[in-house]
Amino acid sequence: MECVIIGGGAAGLQAALHCRRCWPEKSVLLIEAEGDVGYCNPLLPQFMAGQVEEEKLFFWQPAEDPLLQIRKGIKIRSLDRPTQSLNLDNQEKIRYERLILAPGGQPILPLLRREDLPEGIFPVRTLATARKIRDWLLKHKEIVVLGGGLVGVKTAAYLQLAGFAVSLVEKEDHLLPQALTKPSARLVERHLQRLGIRLFLGCLLEDIQEEKGILKSAKVSGQWIPGETLLIAVGSTPNIDFLENSGLLQDKELLVSPALQTADANIFAAGDAVTISTSGGEKHKPWTWPQAVTQGKLAAENLFRSVPLPLNVLTRPNSMNLQGLSIVILGAPTPDAAIISHDRTAEGIYRELFLRGRKIVGGALVGDISGAGLLHFLMINGSEVDGDVARFLKPQSRVFYQLLPSSKRQRRRARILFPKEMLS
Amino acid sequence: MKVIGVHLDRCTGCKTCELYCAVERGSNGKTLLKAAQETPLPQPRLRVEGNNEFTFPLQCRHCLQAPCLNACLNAALVRDPETNLVLVREERCIACWTCTLFCPFGVIFPWPERKFALKCDRCAFMENPVCLEVCPCQALELVELEDFEKIPGQRRAEVGKTLAGKKEKGLLLLDLGE
Repeated sequence: MECVIIGGGAAGLQAALHCRRCWPEKSVLLIEAEGDVGYCNPLLPQFMAGQVEEEKLFFWQPAEDPLLQIRKGIKIRSLDRPTQSLNLDNQEKIRYERLILAPGGQPILPLLRREDLPEGIFPVRTLATARKIRDWLLKHKEIVVLGGGLVGVKTAAYLQLAGFAVSLVEKEDHLLPQALTKPSARLVERHLQRLGIRLFLGCLLEDIQEEKGILKSAKVSGQWIPGETLLIAVGSTPNIDFLENSGLLQDKELLVSPALQTADANIFAAGDAVTISTSGGEKHKPWTWPQAVTQGKLAAENLFRSVPLPLNVLTRPNSMNLQGLSIVILGAPTPDAAIISHDRTAEGIYRELFLRGRKIVGGALVGDISGAGLLHFLMINGSEVDGDVARFLKPQSRVFYQLLPSSKRQRRRARILFPKEMLS
Repeated sequence: MKVIGVHLDRCTGCKTCELYCAVERGSNGKTLLKAAQETPLPQPRLRVEGNNEFTFPLQCRHCLQAPCLNACLNAALVRDPETNLVLVREERCIACWTCTLFCPFGVIFPWPERKFALKCDRCAFMENPVCLEVCPCQALELVELEDFEKIPGQRRAEVGKTLAGKKEKGLLLLDLGE
């Protein structure tokens, strides 16, 4: 095989499809450990809640293509770089010319050190487990969700609205701790409480209790919460155990250049498994869906290029519509950044920006997300914001003209607005 | 690819284009009177931006490297192979608003009432975009992008011709403009 891609998630699938587009004469093999390729992970909470049918999750169906082969349900045992080959679990050996690693992440499971786990404990990550959760939930109505990050919050909200009794446990003292500051998270908390979710903030899962092999309750900071279902959404770690002896890992991280190239020039990596190391020595882990898609495409494009192209944007913004409450996260709060905010908590709106000097380095918009695209654009360009920065914070959908340099505002002749002009 | 160009000196900011975009493309009734009574209210796909001294109608640029295409979680945004336009398949949209976050022009609008993202599709299946038809000042014009890019080339050729016609001796410095 000329191109082998490991992992059929967002990054892996896009890499495979883009590879066929960029290098039409090369053959591509996609190896996926699970049984499903081409579904939308962010829709899994709706799927588990029974609001979305399984067919609707799939955004891609395999088409007839002799040069694109997809093998599902196969695990990789090891990577042998000197012979450019992969050892599979079924003793098979596959040779590659170029390789893209997109194995994704595996869920962190805090309780699994115990041997005899009762039924009813599931990680929220893949379609395979989501199917099990959906079946399990037909008979079990009390749910404890562990983890108040994006996945946990979304899962809790959709399941509560579908008629389940949900408790949400987060170890920090506010929700979405990696993305929001306390005042903005307060709005999200209020929204979830209004939906009827019981919140346990600043609490840790300590123990579980079972009855006849089925989970009965979970102990959270000394308090027992009844529930037959425990959904775990406390994040993921890169799925890179099979690379142990390949020499590609540094401190258990799969480091890649901004061009997504690993230490081996024939091997690229993308998605939730990589740590991007810039020339300045910074490390980025932009593990979001849009990043996975962009990286997958870029890795495919770089496969046979003599000078690989770098990834332009390393930020990890996110957007979520939580049953009526829109949240946009531009970047996480950092300790050295100044915070300016537009606080209309009473109306359910809180908008904040994090500034270093006159540059936007992050922010969050809760309740009113207008102007999000422009703020993100200013952020990724590293533009210095002149004048009153607070004008961007006021909710208004018409803010584009504020970005234009004043000389362009005055011009009086027929012209067409091109993206590149906006950049200058 | 055809795009909508704006004559900035002609736009008065009257928002007729916004109004008729909403009526023609967003309402069931297709007349202003009926559209105004619908719930949810029809929304336009373009917005008139600006302030008191300066206005212009802004609609999707159908960027050649569109950031929204990579951002869409459910493959609802696609590039139409025939027209090269970026389109929303509304039935696939899951209303996560990720595309609105990635659009540098802010021209993809969330429409929470109808649960999909709204953007200009340049009325590709109509003869002319409706905004262009209704503009009282004819500030909007449909141009072929490739034709537009020929203009600088023509300008260069003209300048070259004029200079060659002068045949002056010595070093010639061109007027540097503003």
